[in-house]
Amino acid sequence: MAEFFGTTVADIFNTMPKRFKPEASKGVDVVIGYDCGGEGGGKWKLTVKDQVAKVETVEGDLGPCTATIIASDAETFIGVTLQKIGAIDALSQGKMKVVGDTRMLMTLLPQIFVQYTVPEKKTEVTARGILSAIGERFRPDKAAGVTLKYGYDLTGEGGGQFTITIADGTCTLKEGLDSDLAVKMTMEAVTYVGMMTGTIDGAAAFTSGKVRIDGDMMAAAATGKYFDKYVDPNAEEAEELLSLKVVTSINQRFATGPVMGKWFAGLREKKFLASVCPLCKRTLILPQEICQFCHVRTKEYVELGPEGYVTNFDLVYFASPDPLSGEVRDTPYACAWIMLEGATPEEGFAFEIKREDLPKLKIGSRVRPVWAEKPSGSFRDILHFEIID
Amino acid sequence: MKKHEKNRNVAIIGIGQTTLSSHKEDQNQVEMVAEAVRNVLADANMTLDDIDCIVHGNMELFEMQFQPDMWHALGCGSYGKEEYRITTGGTVGATLVCASDSLVASGQYDTVLCLGFEKLQEGNTTGGITNMADPLWFRNLQTGALTSTTATEMIKEFGKDRVLRAAMKYRIMMDKHAMLNERAHRRLGLEYDQLETLMETSPQLVGELRLIHMCSQSDGACAMILTHEDRVKKGTAKPPVWIRDHETSHRGENMSNLYGAQKPKSTHRDCAERLFKRNGITNPLEYFDVFEMYDPSAYWGLDWLREFLLLKDDAVLKLMEAGEFDLDGKLPVNPSGGVIASNPIGATAMLRPAEAALQIRGDAGGHQIKKEVRHALASGFGGTLWTVMLMLEKELNW
Repeated sequence: MAEFFGTTVADIFNTMPKRFKPEASKGVDVVIGYDCGGEGGGKWKLTVKDQVAKVETVEGDLGPCTATIIASDAETFIGVTLQKIGAIDALSQGKMKVVGDTRMLMTLLPQIFVQYTVPEKKTEVTARGILSAIGERFRPDKAAGVTLKYGYDLTGEGGGQFTITIADGTCTLKEGLDSDLAVKMTMEAVTYVGMMTGTIDGAAAFTSGKVRIDGDMMAAAATGKYFDKYVDPNAEEAEELLSLKVVTSINQRFATGPVMGKWFAGLREKKFLASVCPLCKRTLILPQEICQFCHVRTKEYVELGPEGYVTNFDLVYFASPDPLSGEVRDTPYACAWIMLEGATPEEGFAFEIKREDLPKLKIGSRVRPVWAEKPSGSFRDILHFEIID
Repeated sequence: MKKHEKNRNVAIIGIGQTTLSSHKEDQNQVEMVAEAVRNVLADANMTLDDIDCIVHGNMELFEMQFQPDMWHALGCGSYGKEEYRITTGGTVGATLVCASDSLVASGQYDTVLCLGFEKLQEGNTTGGITNMADPLWFRNLQTGALTSTTATEMIKEFGKDRVLRAAMKYRIMMDKHAMLNERAHRRLGLEYDQLETLMETSPQLVGELRLIHMCSQSDGACAMILTHEDRVKKGTAKPPVWIRDHETSHRGENMSNLYGAQKPKSTHRDCAERLFKRNGITNPLEYFDVFEMYDPSAYWGLDWLREFLLLKDDAVLKLMEAGEFDLDGKLPVNPSGGVIASNPIGATAMLRPAEAALQIRGDAGGHQIKKEVRHALASGFGGTLWTVMLMLEKELNW
């Protein structure tokens, strides 16, 4: 259909029901005929009655109308509608005529319809479109030495199966899924487009199960860094927002005091020393100067363990930093709660379990400490607890 | 037991929140705080001239920023006013409200504005938590707030399948609530028919704790204005919500003592028992119309409901399975979507009484409970299971 001023006659009529204001049309009962000549023209009939607007295309005769608008061509009709061409000019030049009550048209129509505006042109963004141009966004400098083959299984409308291969500093795309993928990501095509254009948060889509990852999770997370960010052609240009990056590193030293001092001194002797409440007899481990329940000073010490049994444990799959070194720990690792021999029932002790023993770790497992070669009274004196067979 | 009597009654007369999201990069901290302060002043139809004192707080060290109250002075409007800075870890938001309540009740100030905030994207949460632990030993064991010990304990008690299902149902229920709250951060659109899939596919973090069960890291701020009974009588822009009472329960021990051969009484149950006894509440499930609970994970949410509501045996699972914590259930829990949906830590524990107060006002918008809310409960949580609880009332008649 012929386009003028960026739109078509049909679009003006198609959007009429949406632009209609029922509350402003109380008591209105009219039939308006439209006859637009030339290329892109046609005949339409608008009926407003009982606060409902009905728009229909008409073949042949328009039939009886309260008023009829006749335009010689589509350009005139669209121009007048958009107020790019003065209505008076068009009427006086004879390019437009109105049969019937003209005054009603000038006052009534603006009142019961929202003014038509040309819809913004949007480039359609499709999953296929984004993927087919993936080579243009590839960053060979970031992918130096990387060999990776991963696939997208995009379901639903506009979907498809694609394999992306990164090797020797090049990136290639082909349709279909290879059998030797490092990772395959399955999602609806609209989810993929949303993630690329930034309307869907990738982490949230993954968390909520909208994206399924089969294979190497780390490879999936890494895929983004080999490419420049996709730029949505429809996005409005945003204000630049800067963040300042700061790294803080602080040396610290803490006095242990005499009670905790005794604990660390005990470690040097490969002993776990607990303080004992003189009233409730709890064996406080780590030793504390005061029993929190009785509010009295503890004076005696008792040696607990070294063996004990596991009451509960956390098997950690999430790669978190070692608080003492700041380095990310290998996973899985386990922190277990341990009842050391001789401890009163509420007094647990917590420590890491030897990695090799994780498969046999269970509640009730008996464990013993494995000491550093030369304990020096520090955090590192116990390497871990191991399971006693 | 201390009577906790107030010199004069105190009401919440203004509530202001920012939107909550993972990255508020369009604002610096001062601007974010100012957004909450502007919102709370507009809500109360007041100006800074009406405020006598500002109580400011967040989770110490999460942004690695010392004395943020100095940097934030312009955002808070604290120039020329009294100001306190409070930081009690995860509970800080609730403590800010308790402290403001006490400051007004004592007669020291007439009208107090309290403000909790966090911009978790700007710091390092794990770094902050690590430095929060006792540096003389437990720092070597800290791994942040991720743990599955509660799941393990519940599974031991009730069986794996039942617990896993109840926890995932709790998680999906929270998301359904968050979907109704346009300010919430994570709104995933989960459906109950995804329950079994999510039980299998959501990545495991620690033991049975999966990614989907855990709370978010969010940016945001919350502010409230509190004033005394005589000022309320002169008229307020929005209906007042009365702070009936609050209670805090601490432990002096570390995490390791929580799982000995004999489990200590939880701070949640301890706190609830003391608060309810003092106020003559014999059946919290019957008394309260809504509970905004600090629920950092689905397992904790489920387990803590049992503790806070003083439930026995498997009553909490039965209520969960029967949908009684839903918006139209016996006791709606976290209509806002809770902490699992939005967690700007320094504001999180204030959002609980704030959201509970919105429910009493009938002002919660899309997530407003349909029946009348007269009595509301809110809780805060932090550190080695520390607890703060607040009781809010629609009418001054207890």
